[in-house]
Amino acid sequence: MTEMNFAEAMIDGLCVALDSDPSVSIIGRGISGHGAEAAADKRLAPYGDRVLDPPTSEAAVAMLALGASMSGLRMFLHFGTGVFAFEAWNQVVNEAANARYMSGGRLKSPVTFCMFHGLRNGGGPQHSASSQAMYANSPGLEVVMPASPADAKGLALTAIRSDNATVMLVHPSLLSLRADVPAGDYAVPFGQAAVRREGRDVTIVAFSRQVTEALKAAEILAKEGIDAEVLDPRTLVPLDEASILASVRKTGRLVVADETPVHYGCASEIAALVAEKGFGSLKAPVARVARPHTPVPFSPGMEAFLTPDAAKIADAVRRTLAA
Amino acid sequence: MADAAQGTVAPRKEDRLNKQERLALLECMLRIRRFEEGVIHLAMTPEYEYVGRQHLYIGAEGAGAGACLALGKDDLAHTTHRNHGYLVARGSDRMRMFAEILGRADGTNLGRGGSWHICDPDVGFRSTSAMVGGSIALAVGSAYALQKQKSKAISVAHFGDGTLDEGIGYEALNIASLFKLPVLFMCENNSKPGQRPSSMLAAKHLSHVPAALDMPTKAVNGADVEAVHLAAKEAVDHVRSGKGPYFLQADLERWPGSHQVHAAFPTGVTDISLAWDEGKIEGKNADWTRTYDPIRLYAKKLLGENAVTRDELTALDRKVADETDKLRATAVKSPFPPADAAAKQFA
Repeated sequence: MTEMNFAEAMIDGLCVALDSDPSVSIIGRGISGHGAEAAADKRLAPYGDRVLDPPTSEAAVAMLALGASMSGLRMFLHFGTGVFAFEAWNQVVNEAANARYMSGGRLKSPVTFCMFHGLRNGGGPQHSASSQAMYANSPGLEVVMPASPADAKGLALTAIRSDNATVMLVHPSLLSLRADVPAGDYAVPFGQAAVRREGRDVTIVAFSRQVTEALKAAEILAKEGIDAEVLDPRTLVPLDEASILASVRKTGRLVVADETPVHYGCASEIAALVAEKGFGSLKAPVARVARPHTPVPFSPGMEAFLTPDAAKIADAVRRTLAA
Repeated sequence: MADAAQGTVAPRKEDRLNKQERLALLECMLRIRRFEEGVIHLAMTPEYEYVGRQHLYIGAEGAGAGACLALGKDDLAHTTHRNHGYLVARGSDRMRMFAEILGRADGTNLGRGGSWHICDPDVGFRSTSAMVGGSIALAVGSAYALQKQKSKAISVAHFGDGTLDEGIGYEALNIASLFKLPVLFMCENNSKPGQRPSSMLAAKHLSHVPAALDMPTKAVNGADVEAVHLAAKEAVDHVRSGKGPYFLQADLERWPGSHQVHAAFPTGVTDISLAWDEGKIEGKNADWTRTYDPIRLYAKKLLGENAVTRDELTALDRKVADETDKLRATAVKSPFPPADAAAKQFA
């Protein structure tokens, strides 16, 4: 175990992937976000032309990665801010998502599309998207959202080694999060939720940065005598339904925290899952803590108003317990 | 946009094709033509439950055979949805192609792709994208892989003039040129000004776009299979030698059924004897057959040069037609896949 931040862990994962398999190739800079590029560049420099700095052509670069993955490379492409991937929307959700299925399994598509999502202090309307639900609603893609440094490394390694197209969404405010990360090569399997905190009274399912907020909320609630369980599914597709249902069976209450706009979002999907398959366990209505269905304003106070956080999660838990 | 061939290629002496090579070009074109006619037959026969559309390669055989026969077996092709020509030319199993077009269990893609997405990686046919601008960028990706793998193989992008209407067409050309990727851009220009769909480009010639990106270009008459083939060999040599991409444009006149909604034979079932008996060419599309049918033109040329006899032509065509009929008859016996196989993903 070594303590490192989320960005360093991701880069460490990429280096493990590059070292262990000569077919791994990386496209994109800014993997560690603004301010840490120099350190990332330094670690990736020895890999020479296995790390490509591409022109600003998201659509063609996404297809370059997909085409190369069909022809024997394992590609990891970082778009930077996730909204840039909208320039490659067709290429990700219509080409990459379908490539393997529509070939009858004859083609593999080991490509990872990594990007930053979420509200990040001043991103404004065009740089704050949390598009995970859109990708999760595009069959054929695996969708993963690491919430810790160890998972950033382990999920990146699993994504790179998967023969399917994978979308990896990272919240930029997590990049400086420090924690212990296992050394060397390891993998975090897809479809296995992590219980971040055990509890008896309520289940909080949270994704990405909201895992951190949910844990803060659980501390606040503990002082009020409320014992919250925090579950991090880690991957949206495939989804660990069994762990979510088991937790709700135990607690009888569910709050879901995610930054996707609330309508048709990830929180809605988890709520629907429990309504359909775990209705008998519920002692209260499910609560969703997500962004309101509105574009994102620039002004700090207005942005904060929309942003799911520990206080909003704690409020939702209290409502659920009062119901 | 109008973009006529910028002159035909005058073959150098050493480029002259021998009889075997010429017959291979003709046979390849006939295989494609008889296959596509087989597709029309399938679509016209209700009992086969054909549900696809009609994007046939009839009329483009000169471009496809000319280009594909210049490739090596390890080269990788990515095409548009007008893909049957390249698949046949690359040697894909035509029985499985027919089965895929019918959505049957024995199809190349197990019934999941249909005509629009047939792929056969075993014969160097990597993928079909049915999105305009798809194949060109995927081929750049395969070329990127080949460059990293230090392979001597090259990648081929098959696309139409419409791809240059798409932003990704420009992006893909730029990236290929920027990184000197081993990709042959094989553009089939069947634009028809005033008719939709057709490309609408402000540039006077399609090739001005790749030329602006520092890429060698050439335009040839796509109805002249030898011209395409010789130009493609030169282009393939360029790409394979590591000098970067090449843009080869084959100008085509659309077959009258090019965008037909209902299966039909607007120029009749191919009759090889029209190569020497032009008086028999009739109907409202006679002009296309007379002037642009690449198979008739090539058969006529070979006869005129005494390279083949009428009997040889007839026998070759008969052989191809018979083998195609047999493969089609086998394909229609393939069952539909179990419906619940739809949920199977490939892990």
